[in-house]
Amino acid sequence: MKDIDEIDSITRALARVDPGQPGGRPSDAGARTLLASITAEEPGPFVARPRRRRPRRLALGLAGAGLLAAGIVVGPSLLENGVSPSYAVTKNSDGVVYVRVRDFSDVKGLTRQLAELKVPAMVDYVSPGKQCQEPRGTYVEDIPPGLYSVPENIPGDPGRGWQMRIDTKLFKPGQTFVWTISEGHTSTILMDGPIAPCVPEDRPEPKEIKRDYRVATLKGRSLAGLRVDEKTVGEVLPELRKRGSKITYLVMGIPPGNPGGFGELRTQSTPVGDDWIVWEAEESIRQPGVIRLLVTDRRYDRNPVYGGPRDDVIKE
Amino acid sequence: MNSERARFEAVYRETYGRITAYAVRRCNSPQDAADVVAETFSIAWRRMRELPDGEEAALWLYGVARKVLANHYRGENRRQARSVELDAEMADLYGASPDSGVELKAIAQIFRTLSDDDREVLSLVAWEGLDRQEIAAVLGLSRNAVRIRLHRARRRFARALAEADVRFMAESRLIPAERSL
Repeated sequence: MKDIDEIDSITRALARVDPGQPGGRPSDAGARTLLASITAEEPGPFVARPRRRRPRRLALGLAGAGLLAAGIVVGPSLLENGVSPSYAVTKNSDGVVYVRVRDFSDVKGLTRQLAELKVPAMVDYVSPGKQCQEPRGTYVEDIPPGLYSVPENIPGDPGRGWQMRIDTKLFKPGQTFVWTISEGHTSTILMDGPIAPCVPEDRPEPKEIKRDYRVATLKGRSLAGLRVDEKTVGEVLPELRKRGSKITYLVMGIPPGNPGGFGELRTQSTPVGDDWIVWEAEESIRQPGVIRLLVTDRRYDRNPVYGGPRDDVIKE
Repeated sequence: MNSERARFEAVYRETYGRITAYAVRRCNSPQDAADVVAETFSIAWRRMRELPDGEEAALWLYGVARKVLANHYRGENRRQARSVELDAEMADLYGASPDSGVELKAIAQIFRTLSDDDREVLSLVAWEGLDRQEIAAVLGLSRNAVRIRLHRARRRFARALAEADVRFMAESRLIPAERSL
């Protein structure tokens, strides 16, 4: 028999991709498309969980059959109000409350419903252009993740009100959810201890921010026709360098759950990793040739700049 | 859920090169390889709970890819998560290799006459560079069972080569051994 090393070298020579070498690159378009299509679905654990729990659920069902049937508690006033209330507050048996607000002036209705469902909340309505004088209490700095979602559109009914999700189990004793709502403006602050009543005051006119940058990839702009969204920094840079652009980076902060929208963590000219993700390119309005890439250090399930695919928002 | 996604993306980035290489080395066509890659990672996403961390993730994925490959050729694979780009990227890997020399073709033919189990254990050593412990993890066998299988597979391959009287190319053309078992 030939010796072991010889057999192994012969086998190695048969490899289509040389041993030790990678096949495809995860940054390639096909690899990224695949990753996106896989993670577009719910991951396994969330799907598999009910199956694993089946025996336990059976036992529970025997112990208190009525309890499971009433998984969702609906505030009595909602039932009284009829089918299309200005507020809808529902509470799952796991303590998660869903609030939908359509009419912004019926504060009493919402307050009552929240109280019925034992959500520690205080709601105030202020007329447009007003706000409650702050501070009304002690702000909670350490907000547990998942306590509430940022207000978002009601699915299938955009533009009319908003909805949010609150996990009442995560409230600590003495904490109150302080809401100030108004047309087109909602403030949600978690506070600790006693809370002063709302004293309306004029809301300062939003300062007109002198915009320094605008989207660069639109028709007539400096990068017209170039698509950078959802690509990696490594893929985008060669083209920009070819065009002689001076490049800066806006590092985006993405709120939990990536509901669409982003904050600015910092702007820097120091290069970021080639595997960072670009979501859009902006150009400086006053300094031609300066391009600012909106980037995150990892890929998200949808473009935070547009709350989804760029093509759904920009039609050219 | 986002942490699951971040963890999966990290594993994907870390292992994609190896899993694609694994599939390309074993599939006759780029389309098959793309299917195997797509299905392997889809299963990993669905079974995130079982997906181990670190180096073990790659071994676990090799094990999944191996089963996907077996099912693929039984025609049980119905998922087509792959895309045109992925097919093209896999096809690129088919252009350059392997060496189409006469000797190598003959050797490849003999290699293909070995049983699936023999080929897999030889390939995991020579192509993926795994040691016995790692192969045991991939195949779900004991380390000792791997040792025996490997020994027998090498013997059978050597015998088949000898029977065919294949002459070997110059040793210098072979890739040097990285690890001996």
